[in-house]
Amino acid sequence: MAKLNKDSLKTLSFITYFIILFVFWFILSGYLKSLLLFFGLVSVLFVFWMSYRAKALEEDSLPLKIILRLPFYWIWLFKEIFKSGITTTALIWNGKYSPQLISVKASQKNRTGIANYANAITLTPGTVTIEVDKKTFLVHALSKKLSEDLQTDDMNKVITDLDK
Amino acid sequence: MSYNYIELISLVLLAIGCFFILSGSLGLIKLPDVFSRIHAAGLIDTLGSGFIVLALIIYSGFSLLSLKLLLIPLFLIFTSPVTGHAIALFAHESGYKPKGKNKK
Repeated sequence: MAKLNKDSLKTLSFITYFIILFVFWFILSGYLKSLLLFFGLVSVLFVFWMSYRAKALEEDSLPLKIILRLPFYWIWLFKEIFKSGITTTALIWNGKYSPQLISVKASQKNRTGIANYANAITLTPGTVTIEVDKKTFLVHALSKKLSEDLQTDDMNKVITDLDK
Repeated sequence: MSYNYIELISLVLLAIGCFFILSGSLGLIKLPDVFSRIHAAGLIDTLGSGFIVLALIIYSGFSLLSLKLLLIPLFLIFTSPVTGHAIALFAHESGYKPKGKNKK
């Protein structure tokens, strides 16, 4: 995929976006009649035109490269959420929380990667990204163990590798 | 009393989900300040809803309905961090300091 030039990459991302939209329409409706499929096509085309007009189809916002790795990343993310969820639940029940602010460095190259990392930190219970300042995040953690887990940089590496 | 295996599995998963929602609600009341309470809300959003949707998928069997159910956690993955971050950022910007180690 790396050998494609910019224009064909853009066309490819348009086609992928179109397919995703149509599959989404089909999952929500479940109709197979040809007339209704035609109406679905019209509405998908309308949404496509709207997002093209809003310039939501730039390279940065629809990264084709990571789309295949995304399911594996979600499974890994769910594992992380589960682990820190157990820790947070235990902290709530036994009351041994000690909230603290820490700063975390991000090594992602583009804006999508940084947003992805900030979202992943917020999504794992026990840590919330408060402020994003270019490449450092201000993070609020519920206990010392949770903040130390974050400072081992594992999550940062996984999300940086996602975008290689 | 003869339980179906599928019913039993989804029952256990529902119970786990309910436990996480209960802990999250308890945390919302118990924890000291805004920033800590966001963690409790995040617990409900991710693990509570996740386990309950998983239980419903197993209970209803695989069909178009389970794909629709899968869309719920998918959207929560994108929207829940945004709301949490928005609340935290607004509290931070308006000069609200997080409480430290001392309780109360």
